[in-house]
Amino acid sequence: MAREKLIARLMGYKVSFTLLVFIALLVIFQVFTPNHTFFQRANLYSLARLAPDLGIVALGVGILMICGEFDLSIASTIPMSSFVFVKLLGYGVPLWLNLIVTLGVGVVVGLGNGFLVTRTRLPSFILTLGTLLFWRGLLYASSLMMPIGIRAWLKKGSWLENLFAVVIGGVFPVQAVWFVGFAVLLGVILHFTRFGNWIFVTGDNETAARAMGISTNRVKIIAYVGVGVLCSVVGLMQCLRIESFTANQGVGFELKAIAAAVVGGTSLAGGIGSVLGIAIGTVTIQIIESGMILLGLPAFGIGTFIGAVVIMFAVLNKYISRWSSR
Amino acid sequence: MADGRSASTGNPDDGYLVRMIGIDKYFGRVCALSGVDFGVKHSEIVSLVGDNGAGKSTLIKILSGFHRADKGEIYFEGKKIHLGSPRDAKNLGIETVYQEQALAPHVSIPRNVFMGREITKALGIMDGRRMIAESMKTLEKLGLRIKDSRAMVEQLSGGQRQGVAIARVLYFKAKLVILDEPTIALSVKESQQVMDFMQQLRGEGISVVFITHNLFHAFQIAERFVVLARGELLADVERKDTSVERLSQLIITGRQEVK
Repeated sequence: MAREKLIARLMGYKVSFTLLVFIALLVIFQVFTPNHTFFQRANLYSLARLAPDLGIVALGVGILMICGEFDLSIASTIPMSSFVFVKLLGYGVPLWLNLIVTLGVGVVVGLGNGFLVTRTRLPSFILTLGTLLFWRGLLYASSLMMPIGIRAWLKKGSWLENLFAVVIGGVFPVQAVWFVGFAVLLGVILHFTRFGNWIFVTGDNETAARAMGISTNRVKIIAYVGVGVLCSVVGLMQCLRIESFTANQGVGFELKAIAAAVVGGTSLAGGIGSVLGIAIGTVTIQIIESGMILLGLPAFGIGTFIGAVVIMFAVLNKYISRWSSR
Repeated sequence: MADGRSASTGNPDDGYLVRMIGIDKYFGRVCALSGVDFGVKHSEIVSLVGDNGAGKSTLIKILSGFHRADKGEIYFEGKKIHLGSPRDAKNLGIETVYQEQALAPHVSIPRNVFMGREITKALGIMDGRRMIAESMKTLEKLGLRIKDSRAMVEQLSGGQRQGVAIARVLYFKAKLVILDEPTIALSVKESQQVMDFMQQLRGEGISVVFITHNLFHAFQIAERFVVLARGELLADVERKDTSVERLSQLIITGRQEVK
């Protein structure tokens, strides 16, 4: 009984359903892929290397959704951070300073979004669609959409690459460690600290939160800055992994991150969600992608399946919350 | 909280916890309140009644710091006060329980009770166990037993929800609790429960302002009635000097009784 309670708590609200689907997908892909290649090392390795890109961003986006807002501009923050990093490399700026400035890109974009949303009180979906296009335009104009390699200025094996792009022991990608690390850190903040409670109540009933003296504007601005910084980390990670800035980094992440959060049980209306759910949601979306490719299904049609899964979960979430509130 | 109250009862203030005198409030050119006097004594339940648009909520929002009066004075425990924000009112021990607006439905009871004032250990980590124990203890004081301490507010009945909102102000040692239409969407049984909560608050030495449209509810527990109409004070009467019929006549006609 006590153990059941503990498990129920760990799973949190709705997460168990995501986990069930996740495990079912694993089984299906393993059984049906030719020669059962799903659980082979090469596939797991590429999953562990690629899933954290979306996962780290989705953690931020999901938490922002719990406090009631969206951020589409992430798809600009990611390549902008990468661009700024590469440019500063070219100027010979010391790596540690470069790292700080690159993360600063996320802070600036996040502050901009946060102030815009809290001052105007307009739907953040529209406002951040605006900032997405605004920053993307600036980026495309300044980069002329040309990729820029990093090897001219950065020798292989720099400490920054060891930090963000190394493969530990030749088998385990460090990106996965960062993903887990961020998930644990953000999970503790969201579920166990008072600030985490402010995030939930801000999304669940902003009027009540304000009446109780919580500065919901500050909560939202901090959440936006958090998303921005996570995007900068991912932009940098991708840049170091592919050894280049490319203008189309992060394209499509703005909606995929929301999809990952929804699959993980996050409410589109705010106030409901969990870090564990968001993490599993991300991995679920990633294994659908990789599983479909291994199954030999048309790669260009992957969107159809992910779309169906997102809709399924959006509907499921609604009914689960009805059952649980009975 | 005991010292604050006993010190104030020594004040030569006719037993009033709070007094608002000559309150005017304009929204643009619209006059919402004009020259309204309002007071609540220690451990008293006062019912504030009046039709829609009478100025009840404006008056209460001034008292809870959401609006500022354009004219008039407010005294709390005999001292003149200035309420610049809801924070100021809370710091004095004036708490407002708004119907349906006080709670986050998908958050657990303890986290609702402690919303914005969570008990923390180091590093902002919440002391969940203490928050559960304290909130359950306070709910029991109100006569409310809830089995599942982790239940979300959404799973509770309307009466229980009001209980959670009231437990919050009880725990944080309010001196004056303002309830804005706490029985409006409730069944007969649940309304009764909420009125019992108000009695419990008074039993704890807390003054209560009960805003309602339902005179039968008001008459059950309030000791005094303050009637507003079109932003003006129409009557301020003790229960023994009036009746439900006379009060409803007042509200309907919006005029002083002709004696």
